[in-house]
Amino acid sequence: MSRFNLAMRLLARDGRSGELTILVLALIIAVTSSTAISLFGDRLQRTMTNQAAEFMAADLVITSPHKLPPIWHEKARGLQLSEAKTAEFSSVLIENDELLLAGIKAVSTTYPLRGYIKITDSDYQHEQTIHHGPTTGEAWVEKRVLSALKLNVGDPLIVGEKQLKISQIITYEPDKRADLYSLSPRVMINQEDLLATQVLQPGSHVHHFFQFSGDLNALTQFKRWAKPLLNPSQRIMDVHEDRPQLGTALDRAERYLGLSSIVVILISGVAIAMATRRYTERHFNTSAMLRCLGCKQREILWLYLYQFLVLGTLASLIGCLLGWVAQEYLFHLLRNLLPQHVANPSLIAVMFGFITGIVVLFGFALPPILRLKRVSPLRVLRRELAPLPTSAWLVYGLAMSVIAVLIWRYTQDLKMTATIIGVGFLLVVVLGGLIYAFFQLSRKLLPHLNLSWRFALQGLLRNSRASVSQILAFSITLVAMILSFTVRTDLLDNWQQQLPEHAPNHFALNIFPGQLEEFQQNLEQNQITGSQFYPVVRGRLVKINDVGVQQIVSKESQGERATHRDLSLTWTNQIPEDTKLVAGKWWQPKEIGLVSIEQKLAESLKVQLGDVLTFTIGSQQMQATITSIRKVQWDTMKPNFYMIFSPGTLDGYAHTFITSFFLPDTQKTLLNTLVKSFPSITVLEVDLILKQFKTILSQLTQAINYLLYFALLAGFTVLFAAVFSTLDARIYDGAIMRTLGANRKFLSTTHILEFTLLGFISGLIAVIISEVIIFALYTYVLKMDFQMNIELWMVIPLTGAFFVGISGFWGVRKVVRQSPNTVLRNI
Amino acid sequence: MQTQANQLNAIIQTENLSKTVPTSEGPLHILSSVELIINPGESIAIIGASGSGKSTLLSLLAGLDTPSTGSIMIKGHSLTEMNEDGRADIRNQYIGFVFQSFQLLPGLTALENVMLPLELAGDKLAKKSARALLDRVGLIKRLTHYPNQLSGGEQQRVALARAFVTEPTILFADEPTGNLDSNTGEHIIDLLFQLNQEQQTTLVLVTHDPALASRCGRTIKLEAGEIV
Repeated sequence: MSRFNLAMRLLARDGRSGELTILVLALIIAVTSSTAISLFGDRLQRTMTNQAAEFMAADLVITSPHKLPPIWHEKARGLQLSEAKTAEFSSVLIENDELLLAGIKAVSTTYPLRGYIKITDSDYQHEQTIHHGPTTGEAWVEKRVLSALKLNVGDPLIVGEKQLKISQIITYEPDKRADLYSLSPRVMINQEDLLATQVLQPGSHVHHFFQFSGDLNALTQFKRWAKPLLNPSQRIMDVHEDRPQLGTALDRAERYLGLSSIVVILISGVAIAMATRRYTERHFNTSAMLRCLGCKQREILWLYLYQFLVLGTLASLIGCLLGWVAQEYLFHLLRNLLPQHVANPSLIAVMFGFITGIVVLFGFALPPILRLKRVSPLRVLRRELAPLPTSAWLVYGLAMSVIAVLIWRYTQDLKMTATIIGVGFLLVVVLGGLIYAFFQLSRKLLPHLNLSWRFALQGLLRNSRASVSQILAFSITLVAMILSFTVRTDLLDNWQQQLPEHAPNHFALNIFPGQLEEFQQNLEQNQITGSQFYPVVRGRLVKINDVGVQQIVSKESQGERATHRDLSLTWTNQIPEDTKLVAGKWWQPKEIGLVSIEQKLAESLKVQLGDVLTFTIGSQQMQATITSIRKVQWDTMKPNFYMIFSPGTLDGYAHTFITSFFLPDTQKTLLNTLVKSFPSITVLEVDLILKQFKTILSQLTQAINYLLYFALLAGFTVLFAAVFSTLDARIYDGAIMRTLGANRKFLSTTHILEFTLLGFISGLIAVIISEVIIFALYTYVLKMDFQMNIELWMVIPLTGAFFVGISGFWGVRKVVRQSPNTVLRNI
Repeated sequence: MQTQANQLNAIIQTENLSKTVPTSEGPLHILSSVELIINPGESIAIIGASGSGKSTLLSLLAGLDTPSTGSIMIKGHSLTEMNEDGRADIRNQYIGFVFQSFQLLPGLTALENVMLPLELAGDKLAKKSARALLDRVGLIKRLTHYPNQLSGGEQQRVALARAFVTEPTILFADEPTGNLDSNTGEHIIDLLFQLNQEQQTTLVLVTHDPALASRCGRTIKLEAGEIV
């Protein structure tokens, strides 16, 4: 205990004398950012999950064409899950001599379990948010229903055999899906009235949605129980796994959050390592003196470990507090973009920040501290005796282990973590060697340089090992910042490309060949931009190489689902936009009997190039050979197909056309005209879904931008701190040189040159490392296309030179200002 | 018989003590076969030219370094048979140091510097003893000053206080006046001998200064690593 007390007293004295400032600063930055990001990420993720739950109106949904057996409901009740039920089907409504195919949705009184419904009885100004559906006898309808059927709020509406009263207009429905039932004009009724409508007869086409919500553990348990009981026509959807609507966007955003976190921790780790190095170097004499006074090596080690432990705890606590404030501020900034109810901060996320602080501190600071215990007591007599540096294996090994654990935590992928660490290690070794070689070469340059340049270069060469590790440290910091920036920019661009401003928000199906031209003209006249018109033949895949598909596909796979229903088959001469061939070749004109299949379905069906697929179309069968496999971007809001045939293959089968087009809100009335002129054409409106999707993307974009600023800020702060931690030797040399008559201008120039050179080389190295990592990251993690970034090659070395130069100049200005004597006495 | 009695009472005794370091031009013998007996309460000056091995001998006797061959006994304990931790214990229990370059810890005040060895030994009254000794060396008004706020002479007085505060059995001093002007140096030496008298410490002193050496009870002269 007395050793601990002594350690505390030494710590207090060191703290008072300003020895610990940089170290503490670096640690606080690390913990602040990791806590803020961990908290922010965690809350954002849970908020998004909640929002996703709102889009499903529940946490877990089972879709089924039939009712579920009572035991399912008993199980759910046993687990204390809340339940709601909806049934969706199409029905033709006739009022005032007008006909409308409406999507009827009968909801239970508990609907919606998550999210809310927005309704109004007049216009959008009177919109109100509620958490239940219509009561018995009521019908809530979309505005389109009123205009199409020439009805008003308050009028009666007959659904099947039941007369209901239209009491509200629905303006928002949480679980709107992109399918036929959801996209036809909505009529929502109470489940109690369903029977009375007598619309549903045995064999009627209806979708039942059994919705559940409750405790995560209970949901997981329920899902595990229910999964084996599902029959092929039933599906289970879970917000935590399926996240309808959000697709890959949230997934990528999460990975970005994780990446930012690692980046900031890495940057801070580098600063901690450098600050600790300086700290230990300044404590060699203390250690030697303590050894002289009879301290054992182990005691010295503990003396410092205690100090670091307490320091780490204090700095981490401060960091946690600041991190908490920072993420609150982030949420405050984003309050208009985020849903009203943001998930509460979780204690675990705060704990994670704290633990990260301690782990990072020791991961990066332990090797230098270990050096302190090896200081020879003889140093009191001979100052030049420095302890051997800690083995590079330990220094880099420990730091890499810490980073590896963090990467693994985010990626949950051991192989990928090993790859990243392995490649990183190799890069550091190779580049370290290269810089060293460059230094050796540049020695030859020395005699040809003027005095300032010569001193600057000599400053780097004098202790080339230290310079190499400094360059690597700066490079890693820069790499971290580049990664944050580039990945973010490309991520946002990618989203933007996926959903450009005028992305199609309506689909038109069932366009008969005879109507095609007229429909096209109609769109053109109204200046509506649409995508290509694709012919559609409905057909079912039945055989692969003469073997029945049911024998091939595994249960519940994508392939199985695709063979249980009719697929939309199309043909075209050209590879559709947003599509990439991953195997095989596209056909030449006039090649008949060929088919191109979507990649994931191909995997699920276990088919390869050259396999022959048999389809039934109507009562006939036809065959086609697979000649290419395509990767399809499903979230482009354009018609996409599993199967595309070479033109001519499907000739003779009845077909209709499908297209998608963009219709701005202001032109919405055109839709009614269009539907009237082409009554047989089905128009699906996806604009609401698209809007939701875009809102989420813009929220994520904002959040990611702030995270980037945070990472950059941390990077620059740390760069400054790191430069400061390398100053002692330079300040000392500077003071000596001044006593020898060097003037201030010469010293300033030399220092600026030296640091600028250091920054420039670091920048160059950073670009090389970044490009390699970005390539790997895009190819294997984010699944985006990689392109060499020329700007990076020009900007980063200059940025490095500028910032390292500035911070170096700032740091050594003391040498230039103070009298050499003051400097020498303070060393 | 007399010699044997001396040997039994000896506080420091060396046998065949040598130190050799490898250099690019073959091994360099810094000390060769040094035989030395120092009795309790003695004051010894080790003199010799630069490079004669004075400081090396001092560092070996104090257990700061290990010899190539030979043995050192301190108060009957064989330093040469101990590991570094054992030697640290010996230093803590019996030995005090005064250095040419003072070796005060820059982050600690004068008082804290003097308290440190007591704190390391777990002494609860560290502050009181340290104050008393700083008072004794005339620095009671400088307690809260940092080393860089003190003059060279003041720094060495703090170092003296630090060396004597543990009441060591043996005090090793390496050129204690080497960094001071002659006037200040003389004051420091006076103080050193006064404290030495008061505490009955055995003093081993390395110096160039014949005047300083003459104040010691015995002088050992080294030449090229051998006692002459």
